[in-house]
Amino acid sequence: MQFVTFYPNSCPCRHLSASRQSVTLPAVILILVTMILEDFKSVVLSIYPVSGLFSLLVLSLVLETQALTPTHHLTTTDVARLQTLLSQPFTDLKSAYYSVVGLSKLGISVADAAETCRFIKSNLDPSSVESLFFAAEASQALPGCEIPVSNDTRDLLLATVSEDSTASQIHQSVSALSSLGLPLASQEVVSALKARISKEDNVLTIILALQTASRLSQQAELGEILEEIEDLAARLDDLGGVYLQFEEGLEATALFVSAAYALSDHVDMEPPLKEDQVIQLVNSIFSKKSWDSLSEAFSVASAAESLSNNRFHVPVIVSAQGPAAISHSQPFLRLQVTNVLCKPLSSASVLVESATATSSKSAILSQAPFTLRDGVFELNFMASQPASGYYQFSVAIAGDSRFVANHVELKVKVSTRVSINNMDLSVVDKDQSIGPKTTRVEYPAKAKASFMADSHQIFAMTFQLVDETTGVELTPHQTFVRLHNQKTGQEVVFVAEPDSKNLYKFELDTTERKTEFDSISGTYALYLMVGDATLENPILWNVADVVLKFLDEEAPSTIQAKTLYTPKPEIQHLFREPEKKPPTVVSNAFTALVLSPFLLLLILWFKLGANISNFTLSPSTVLFHIGHAAMLGLMYVYWTHLNMFQTLKYLAIIGSFTFLAGNRMLAQKAVKRLERK
Amino acid sequence: MSNSVFSVISRFVEEYRSSTPNKLKMIDAYLLYILLTGVFQFLYCVLVGTFPFNSFLSGFISCVGSFILAVCLRIQINPQNKRDFLTVSPERAFADFLFAHTVLHLVVVNFVG
Repeated sequence: MQFVTFYPNSCPCRHLSASRQSVTLPAVILILVTMILEDFKSVVLSIYPVSGLFSLLVLSLVLETQALTPTHHLTTTDVARLQTLLSQPFTDLKSAYYSVVGLSKLGISVADAAETCRFIKSNLDPSSVESLFFAAEASQALPGCEIPVSNDTRDLLLATVSEDSTASQIHQSVSALSSLGLPLASQEVVSALKARISKEDNVLTIILALQTASRLSQQAELGEILEEIEDLAARLDDLGGVYLQFEEGLEATALFVSAAYALSDHVDMEPPLKEDQVIQLVNSIFSKKSWDSLSEAFSVASAAESLSNNRFHVPVIVSAQGPAAISHSQPFLRLQVTNVLCKPLSSASVLVESATATSSKSAILSQAPFTLRDGVFELNFMASQPASGYYQFSVAIAGDSRFVANHVELKVKVSTRVSINNMDLSVVDKDQSIGPKTTRVEYPAKAKASFMADSHQIFAMTFQLVDETTGVELTPHQTFVRLHNQKTGQEVVFVAEPDSKNLYKFELDTTERKTEFDSISGTYALYLMVGDATLENPILWNVADVVLKFLDEEAPSTIQAKTLYTPKPEIQHLFREPEKKPPTVVSNAFTALVLSPFLLLLILWFKLGANISNFTLSPSTVLFHIGHAAMLGLMYVYWTHLNMFQTLKYLAIIGSFTFLAGNRMLAQKAVKRLERK
Repeated sequence: MSNSVFSVISRFVEEYRSSTPNKLKMIDAYLLYILLTGVFQFLYCVLVGTFPFNSFLSGFISCVGSFILAVCLRIQINPQNKRDFLTVSPERAFADFLFAHTVLHLVVVNFVG
């Protein structure tokens, strides 16, 4: 039985996660393959490795075909924000163009169309291609707004279509001509565009070329320009397998998407983008939820529109309404199935392909349809009476061949209410001489009498936790028994564990557990705490009062609150005590004693007849003695003041001087000695 | 037994008094002085304690070193050993003695603290 000890003012809540990991299937296969390879290496070398490799190959193929689902998408609030940004009052023709055309792509019409039309007409500059482009496109989006066109305007626009203009000029003039209903020569445009692409190979030029080509007549040779989509798609950067975007940024990616789909729809040929690529583009474009500039917002709006309304790929966004949790009070699993503009897909039919419990891997549902109600798809999952826990749903959205990312995996939680049955409390004697008196307590009442347990007895508690509605036995993550001493504020928490029949047992032996209680006797309030992620009604129940008696002499006199975070007592540093010196008298006495042999030496030398009668006063002798005396003096000064380096310096000087003098003196002495001989 | 020991000692003392030259006797007196100084230092250490140990060591080593150098000088000066020290004259021996003492005292003073 596990136990945990706490002291007052600490949180007793501890989440114990039941960590039972299930070995995944690929790992099992790999392990088996390696085991097979090891064991039968010598005998069946030709057969088993091949089968092992084959199974690995199949496995990798299976893993690769797992499709992506969008991780980023616009929610309704994001779309509203986009709309607000595009509805800002416009200052010039360019911002008017972005606002009007952007809002029309979101399917929203401008508030005051007449006023806007007047604004556009008044700000139009007929001599500028760009101004004509903005005005033409904006007026096209407004109902009943016509821009007057003169011959000069038409000639200006037609003249811009040539190899010498930039791609954006060609795009603007072609779009203006097309929106104003003027005729244009598609083949010329195509050749101009091709020339432009070969001169400027950057991303924006090609995107503009794609946009331009989508306005041309279908008889023109748009094949080469169509191929540019594939080349441009190859230039996208794959970030972590989740995002796909141009290094030029979000705007370029969004404009690419809208241009590619516009052209593909125009020529009725599926764009060469794989489903995973489309989802990755969705992630990149819709990951930014607030936009810096009007042009960025416009590009996102046009990309969203083209991804919702094109003829080939429509990404599907599936999200659960609220948390994906089901209980008896809320038996319906509600899913919102929308396109990227958050508009519900009414033509879709949503089906649960399989619903398996994550713990037992048993399938609960198979091929169950959702019903559409008020734009939300719902399914009554509780009708299939699932046990509480987590379930893995595999949902498929059918109904249109254009749907992309229409297989979704969802994790759904089923919660339930728990009830406690058969709570039996008893005090059993250790030697089993007296039979246990069992008291049954019903939740949420408290046992009337308190239970006494001293060192000869064991306090025991058994109970069952069942699902309120189905009666199935439950094993929640948290089943704690907490004993709280009201007087001292001490609390001790134990874990109650279930046996094989899911019957919970808790036993308290006072002698075994006296360290947790610090041997403090008294009345302890007993609480049962039950909790789990899948329980709707966690329980804290004061079951009974238990009077525990410990041997009194072991109890501490005062209760020490565990002070973990108060400052500790300061440590005083003890410097090294200087060693005890002997008394000065002793030192002085011994100094005298040590110096006394010198007197003895002088006496002996005197007795032996040492004299200085041979002392010649020659200069070398004198100098030698002076130098020698200086060296001895230097030794004393070294002892008191100097360090080795200084001493060596002085010694070198005095020493060499003394050496020379001494050498001279001794030579003279030697000569004298030899003469005497 | 003790009789023979006593007679050997007295004989030795006689011989010493008569045959050793004066110079050597002076060096012997010096040796005795050094010896006593060392003994008294050691006695202090034994009786009172080794604090400060470095001072005791340097003093004791100084005595020992001086004793050894003086013995060397005595051996080299002794005329009876002339044949062993043909290249070393007594003056040279004395000069070596002084030089060695300089080095010894340098070390001793460094260590005495």
